[in-house]
Amino acid sequence: MTGALIVQALFLLGLAVAVGAWWPRVWLGLTLAGAVVAVAAAVAVFPAGADWEWKSGILLGGEAVHLRLDGVSGLFVVLAAVVGAAGAVYSREYWSDRQYPASAPRGRVWWSALMLSMLLVLTASNGLHFLMAWEAFAISGYFLITLEAKKPAVRAAGWLYLAASHAGTVCLFAFFALLAAKTGGWELEPMRGDAALAPLFWLALAGFGMKAGIFPLHIWLPSAHANAPSHVSAIMSGVAIKMGVYGIVRFSGWLPVPAAAGWVVIGLGAGTGLLGIAFALAQNDFKRLLAYCSVENIGIIMIGIGGALLARSHGDAPWGRLALAGALLHVWNHGAFKALLFFGAGSVLHATGTREMSRLGGLWRRMPWTAGLFGLGAVAVAGLPPLNGFVSEWLIYLGLFDAVAGREASAWAALPAAILLAMAGALALATFAKAGSMMFLGAARSKPAAQAHECGGWMRGPMLALAGVCLGLALAPILVWPALASAAGTWHPGWSAKAAVSLATLGWVQLGLAGLIVAAATFLWRRVRANNFRRGPTWDCGYAAPTARMQYSSGSFGSLAGGWFTWVLRPLRTLRRPRGHFPLHAIRLERVPETMLERVILPVASRVMQVSTAVRRLQHGRLSAYILYVLAGLAALGLLVLLESMP
Amino acid sequence: MNSILDLILRLDCWLLLAPLLPGIINKVKAWVAGRRGPPVLQLYYDLARLWKKGVVMSTLASPAFVMLPAVTWVALLGAAMLMPLGPLGAGLTFRGDALLLLYLLALGRFCTGWAAMETGSAFEGMGTVREVSYAVLAEAAMIAAVLSLSVQSGSIALAVMLAPSMGASVVLLAAGLFIVLLAENCRVPFDDPNTHLELTMIHEAMVLDHSGPPLAAILHGASMKLLLFTVLLVQAVLPMGRLNPWVAALVLALGVLVVIVAVGLVESLLARFAFRRVPLLLTTAFLLCLFALLVAWKGGVP
Repeated sequence: MTGALIVQALFLLGLAVAVGAWWPRVWLGLTLAGAVVAVAAAVAVFPAGADWEWKSGILLGGEAVHLRLDGVSGLFVVLAAVVGAAGAVYSREYWSDRQYPASAPRGRVWWSALMLSMLLVLTASNGLHFLMAWEAFAISGYFLITLEAKKPAVRAAGWLYLAASHAGTVCLFAFFALLAAKTGGWELEPMRGDAALAPLFWLALAGFGMKAGIFPLHIWLPSAHANAPSHVSAIMSGVAIKMGVYGIVRFSGWLPVPAAAGWVVIGLGAGTGLLGIAFALAQNDFKRLLAYCSVENIGIIMIGIGGALLARSHGDAPWGRLALAGALLHVWNHGAFKALLFFGAGSVLHATGTREMSRLGGLWRRMPWTAGLFGLGAVAVAGLPPLNGFVSEWLIYLGLFDAVAGREASAWAALPAAILLAMAGALALATFAKAGSMMFLGAARSKPAAQAHECGGWMRGPMLALAGVCLGLALAPILVWPALASAAGTWHPGWSAKAAVSLATLGWVQLGLAGLIVAAATFLWRRVRANNFRRGPTWDCGYAAPTARMQYSSGSFGSLAGGWFTWVLRPLRTLRRPRGHFPLHAIRLERVPETMLERVILPVASRVMQVSTAVRRLQHGRLSAYILYVLAGLAALGLLVLLESMP
Repeated sequence: MNSILDLILRLDCWLLLAPLLPGIINKVKAWVAGRRGPPVLQLYYDLARLWKKGVVMSTLASPAFVMLPAVTWVALLGAAMLMPLGPLGAGLTFRGDALLLLYLLALGRFCTGWAAMETGSAFEGMGTVREVSYAVLAEAAMIAAVLSLSVQSGSIALAVMLAPSMGASVVLLAAGLFIVLLAENCRVPFDDPNTHLELTMIHEAMVLDHSGPPLAAILHGASMKLLLFTVLLVQAVLPMGRLNPWVAALVLALGVLVVIVAVGLVESLLARFAFRRVPLLLTTAFLLCLFALLVAWKGGVP
């Protein structure tokens, strides 16, 4: 049953790749059908012990095709299918044939190719085929990011993505090749007993961490996600970086890990969470802000996974299961609300043509749907009840609190992680208060913002659907617990037993809270309308003529909390103070660069290039000099032999 | 039947008694300054008056401007329902409710900030930025305090966490929580509720443009928040679980009174700090809670 479904999904998506360029309607139908079938296949493996495995006789690259779907990969299949389907619908209006006659057909083909290759990555159970699918996935991502290849910024972002992605793939090549050399075959399956495989975990962490965007390997992520079309940003942020998470979860579950793995992963996670959101707060480009927020959320997921690794290596502590379940639920949650936020951002970009928050404002009036849905996404991403972001963070917190209360060695990692998670949460609240208010509230700061228009049904529909997913995950989290428990049991067989968690209570509380909120808001609105109600200019302590330029700006919003992070943000400042009694010019500009890229990676890279250039002088094509090299080499060898033979 | 009675009693405590606290603080301040001061019940009169008044809404603001104060109020009421009340216990208790309480407070902050930004006013923007930025440090202090209570009691349910006393680290925790109380409730030395200079405000600057029933919801919510923090502080310090119910109720009431008088005295004797010193004070609160945590970890029995 599962096998038939998954093969059917792969077939439908393959067909969508083939027809995407010519028949948009057929393509959309095929993509949606493929997504529905893929979700059905994944749901079928959630009951315990319902894993599906298929070893065929078909050879590809000398290896038999081997597919597998279990609790862990099933979770990611559902995410890829849901966001993939929503984005396909969204792109119909956002990246329409009418507006982009050249790139829209290309976009459709690569979209389905991306979905197909992600499904293949998730089901491949052979190292060689995994690498092939991984490469196809990276390449389709590249072509989607560079749909607007005429813009230099887009090309630069695409190249950076490609370079970083391949740097990660090099690690994965090494990982799979060494694994194959040590086990004697490319087949992938649980190999928990072989302790010699443990050091390979570091290669997997580097390779998959690059894709996931763990700080400081995130350098490619902000520019790629900001410059891609918004539906592509949504799937890149919501799903593609989760493939890195998948790799880490998959191979830390199947292979033994070094003793330090849990400590390193939880540390990386906590650092990624805090620094990612600090960078997000300092951004002025709203898509870059969302991209950095994805870095933060990857950090939260890594905290959960690191906690699970720690617990597993410290006597199977049951709290690890909560942390892992929280991390996996956060994979879903982040996929849903980040895709929603990127769709909202795309709607704003579509309507105003700018990504700079300092040129927006007051959009709620023209775009009430987008504003409302973005606000919902903002509450979810800030991890606030009664929405879904809170549920997964709550599960991770439960795990960390249990670890601290256990007072064992692992508590020394869980304690700072819990505190940093709380601080990252508070910073996320500040970040999204800023993003929401700069884009949608107050007065319009520019003409395009004042003349914006609401998006149409094809864009609003997927946003409503994703908002529905967020609400569903928030109000009935107990319904997804079986899936999480099955994934945790697949990851570590010791955790497959039933465990009590007050998730059902939390769900009821969230439901009650949501009901009360709606009731109280309606009641207060009615009361206000019943009293004497009128509108007037913003009072603002008596300003007679407030202008849009007097509002708090995006730069000043982030300056207070961002100021605590200047040691890592390294903002570039231009300041010209007002001089004299009648000052004419005064400027204060502040911009946060891609600090890790510009201050760390690029200097190192240019130094490497300098050394390479210096070495290249040896290679000049003059035969006489080459003969000299050969002679010198022979002489050195002779000398070596002579020295060895001496007593 | 019993549970309905319990709910009514609990709602009475939170909804009806909360507005007393600002009145008491003002009375203490007036007493120290040698004035007669406003009546203790002043906030009740204000709330009744505001509820009947009309509303002027900024032309820039969306309907959410009026609705968000209701969301904040519900979030604070929800947090209050999770907080145990001495012998009454909590309205609802489950594993991990302490975290829900923290995040409900954050929800209230988010909604207040969002409503403030609706108006496009520079003052309200300033207030919002200060509120959400200082909350980062306050949140760290709060989570450290909750962690130390959790380590002490071996539980993540508030009703169990607050039953025993903290032992040796109680002084550290009390000092840390008291500072967070002052910061989160916009009292001196973080914020001056009576100032006439909008530039120096935090919370008051955020609600400048509210009027009528929404302002009543905001003021009532703020008084509930003050009561919430006071009750948390008193129960974290005193071993409520070991007392007999009537004594516990009396001790709780007296404790709340003592804390509130202390807030009034701080307000009378201290001036508001310069803004650049606020992060330092909050970091101190965080460190106090962290040390309380370490003492509880090393000192208590597991």
